Amino acid sequence: MKNVFQEAATTLDIPSVQEWKKKDRKVVGYTCSFMPVEPFYAAGILPLRLRGINATSMEIADSYYGPFVCSFPKALLQVAGTGKYGFLDGVVLSNGCDTLRRLDDCWRKMGQDIKGSLPPWFHYLDVPHKPDGHAFDWYVNQIKKMMAAIEKQFDVTITQEKLYHAIKEQNRVRSLLWELEKLRRKDELKVTGSEAYTAIIAGTVMPRDIYAGHLSDLIEDIQNRTVDVAANRKRLFLSGSVCDDFDLIHLIEQSNAIVAGENLCFGVRNDEDIVSETGDPVAALAAKYLSGSVCPRMMGWYQARSARLMNRIKNINVDGVILQNIRFCDLHGSENGLFERDLEKNRLPSLRIEREYGPLTESGRLRMRVDAFIEQLSSGNQTR
Amino acid sequence: MSIVAGCDVGSLTTKAVIIKNKRVMDSAIIRSGPKPAESAAKVMEKLFDQTGISQKEIACCVGTGYGRGKIPFIDHAVSEISCHGKGAQWLVPTARTIIDIGGQDCKVIKLDKQGNLLKFVTNDKCASGTGRFLDVMAKVMNMEVSDLGRLSAKSSAPVIFASVCTVWAQADVIKHINSRRPAEDICAGINTAMANRVSMLANTLKIENDLCITGGVAKNDGVVKALAKILGCRIKRIKRTDPQLTGAVGAALFAQERQQALFNNPNRRYL
Amino acid sequence: MRPELKEYNLDWLFASTFNVSKHLCNATPKELKSMFKYIPYVRGLLEPLLATGKPAMTFLDFFGDYYTEITNAKKNGKKVVMTTFCFDPSIFYAVDNVVPVTLEIGTALTSMLWKRGSTDFMDYCTEIGFSETGCSSQRGAMGAYLAGLGADIDLVALNMGGVCDTNSNAYAFAAQYLNVPYYGLDYPANLTSEDVQEYHHKDYRALIRFLEENTGCKFDIDRLREVLEEKRKQDDLMNELEEMQRLVPNPVPGIYHIMIYAGRFIFSGKKKYTRMLGEMVEIVRKNAEEGRSGLKKGIEKNRTFLLYIDNYALGISMVEWFEKKGISHMGSILSRTFTETAPYTTGIPGTTYRIDTTTLDTMIDTMADINARMPMTRTIRGPYDAPNMWLEDSISLAKIYNADCCIYNGTPGCRNTWSNIKLLTRDLEALGFPTHIAYADSFDSRVEAWETTETRLDEFYKIRGLL
Repeated sequence: MKNVFQEAATTLDIPSVQEWKKKDRKVVGYTCSFMPVEPFYAAGILPLRLRGINATSMEIADSYYGPFVCSFPKALLQVAGTGKYGFLDGVVLSNGCDTLRRLDDCWRKMGQDIKGSLPPWFHYLDVPHKPDGHAFDWYVNQIKKMMAAIEKQFDVTITQEKLYHAIKEQNRVRSLLWELEKLRRKDELKVTGSEAYTAIIAGTVMPRDIYAGHLSDLIEDIQNRTVDVAANRKRLFLSGSVCDDFDLIHLIEQSNAIVAGENLCFGVRNDEDIVSETGDPVAALAAKYLSGSVCPRMMGWYQARSARLMNRIKNINVDGVILQNIRFCDLHGSENGLFERDLEKNRLPSLRIEREYGPLTESGRLRMRVDAFIEQLSSGNQTR
Repeated sequence: MSIVAGCDVGSLTTKAVIIKNKRVMDSAIIRSGPKPAESAAKVMEKLFDQTGISQKEIACCVGTGYGRGKIPFIDHAVSEISCHGKGAQWLVPTARTIIDIGGQDCKVIKLDKQGNLLKFVTNDKCASGTGRFLDVMAKVMNMEVSDLGRLSAKSSAPVIFASVCTVWAQADVIKHINSRRPAEDICAGINTAMANRVSMLANTLKIENDLCITGGVAKNDGVVKALAKILGCRIKRIKRTDPQLTGAVGAALFAQERQQALFNNPNRRYL
Repeated sequence: MRPELKEYNLDWLFASTFNVSKHLCNATPKELKSMFKYIPYVRGLLEPLLATGKPAMTFLDFFGDYYTEITNAKKNGKKVVMTTFCFDPSIFYAVDNVVPVTLEIGTALTSMLWKRGSTDFMDYCTEIGFSETGCSSQRGAMGAYLAGLGADIDLVALNMGGVCDTNSNAYAFAAQYLNVPYYGLDYPANLTSEDVQEYHHKDYRALIRFLEENTGCKFDIDRLREVLEEKRKQDDLMNELEEMQRLVPNPVPGIYHIMIYAGRFIFSGKKKYTRMLGEMVEIVRKNAEEGRSGLKKGIEKNRTFLLYIDNYALGISMVEWFEKKGISHMGSILSRTFTETAPYTTGIPGTTYRIDTTTLDTMIDTMADINARMPMTRTIRGPYDAPNMWLEDSISLAKIYNADCCIYNGTPGCRNTWSNIKLLTRDLEALGFPTHIAYADSFDSRVEAWETTETRLDEFYKIRGLL
């Protein structure tokens, strides 16, 4: 199963997605974790998180985006421009950040130049920047609008029953991810960050049911392992900008450290990270996706976010925290500054790094910093 | 009697130091070639020639710098951040904050009394605030980089450079040369621009005294003085050896510690 | 930060500068010449400003008032609210105990007036953890307030969520760093639909509650009406200026644009701002009657529309350069008002605001509508090519002003416009508007020295045969 996850997490030609397509079923891409996937499953559509992996240059993206923007949306555009997302039946874009929402503008423009690069359907999900009151109602309405748009575009009906079912099944995946997280919190660590994170990322692109089966197997496998992979190694927590590439985690784990947890747009964060299965399903989805205001795009909610993160970091019992942001990601870049301060107050050492997205990361300099950080943690004066 | 060595393969220069009986015996600096292993072998050879010591006599050798992972003959590799910290505090025992300005990067390191690494920051991948900035500017000025500091001391009206970007600043330097601004004022402006950039990084860590500067740029008086002025504190200079060797000295000290640990407990494996 | 900077309070420095310099309006040319020798950096703004005569006096006067109010806020028992340039401040002038401080104005001023601009403050933000790539327009003054070198901030309120994340993020950081309450108005991508309208109104009401809870202020219906009526007068005067700008040659001096929007960002709804606009209209009317260009030399060789903002790094270099070259500055995105009576409004329902002072409710809705239609919250919120957004606004404005070309100048911190400026430029070029993208930072000359920006502008005008 390791290979299944590895394959799904490191390539865009995923066998299980190809199988899905072969059965004449639809696939819709999306870009942000504030996009609820359940309505798509309820419509029999595979929601697939878009990734910019394998973009080794930016010559297409640079024709549309300016130079002073984050390399993640650029990489998405580059990949789309090279035709690798040609299998998509639609894309839902949203306002994760300024650059990401402008992917809408750039992609449409690119569609005029590069034939076939534009998906047949675009939908814009307008996510509020606050989680409560009128913003909550707005978001509920946005989900409803999106569901209506799915029904219209794909000629399907999303019944309440189907939505309930999708919520239930997705919750099953969430529970499994929570099981995985719990295993990573144990004193004896039996899974490396690379392996666990690969499994987490795979879940954003693989069909849910196939994924759940493999994930369940992986958890069982980990439970039966005896080797403590964290023995004599420093346990680290990785937080910050979106990171769906493994080079960074590999690089950290090559430096005598283990990544024992992440807060990087993916996975579950705690046992409450689940959609309520009672009451109005759309409101339940809105409550889950806005809960905790997990991303700095939710301005003014730092304290709630920080409290949850601190709590989680303490539960994972790490030696240090790596706070990374993609260059020009001001949201995470600044929040990392606040986290650094607050971690210091809690006597938790941290390292802030700025990087480019994915394969563009400059590994030599990062390696030096990570090595030095591990040496810092080992130098005897760091309190855990 | 123990002889240990430290080898620092940097992006522009490769440095090596031999420590014998807890004193720096000799050192060597060469320009780095494209292959770290070759540069390291070359600098060590040079050092062996200078001292008459052979490779076999080196009880332990620690490698550092960008190329540290690729040096075949070292016993252990330590990051240059730890090595600069270690080296600087050995050379200036009261040092708690170290600013190291190398050829292509700049680091600020904070240590406790025992020399433990408390925190560090490094610059981003831009050349401003690194030795490369001064190299480029000296080239535009058609002078040696060592003259930048010497000349700037004569300036009474330093030029203000709008840009700290290495590319834009070059254009600015040319503009000032063409408008016949005295070379010393341009040099002083270059040094101040460099110091401005470094000061931001230093302030991020909240400087604790004593502050010490290492790396090749420590040899440029102009930058050091400008930096002291901007930061509003005294900067201790390394006098016992060439400040560019600090990383290699630190590496040799790590080698010495490992050797000592092994000596104290022969059954103990290296950490 | 240089130790000497820590010796002065930023607001006091501004207050002193403006309170003193307003008296220069009465000076003789000879006196001015002698004075300028002593203020080589402030001169960059002051000299072209004073040349405008009466409006300059009023401008300096209300800027002096503004910073004096901030300086004395605590002494006078008032709460200081940190806000952004696109937030209409008139709401604060409808109550007794709140004083707004607008970061971008402080940054622009330090960039224009000081030897090293506001770079020390910008770097201070980075030193305490803020992203180095964040927008320079906030980082400048923000550094001073976070370092305790300006007024103590009591709360943060702004309107940039969903429009400019970088901006909202800076204010959220400031609020967190200073540990003060924060409220950000949030904007969906659409502007005109009914549900969006409703969202704007609810959001603004929540802001009012936030202000009341955190400042203890009480909104007086008569005073709010007075402020809004004043604002209506201001809009009318701005409309008149805009209308006259369509004449060839353009009778409006280029520097007016900076004065108009700087004034609006700090003194909207205040009488002195109305006075300045009135004085401007009088001068421009006379220019128009006499067929005179607003350029000092009187000869208009080119009409340029700025797609985004001006350049404030070290003086008002860009405006001065336009003057030198005989280019009429046709305003920027910041100069516009989107009142329903503005000459270029499209007439599509919902794209403009109407000032309705009938009841307290209509006035609050009006404030919400105004805030949702400030230059950035209206023009660059949705896709650039959506109806009533950046492209349509730019085309219609460039057309009605008979512009010969367009310039984009901004800050590298602007993720929003740097994500679609290439697309906008391409479309404008296709429509026959030569368009230049400047890579400078309007507030931080370290990014690109003005001389470099100037060379590139020069090249653009020459190569495209625009002069």
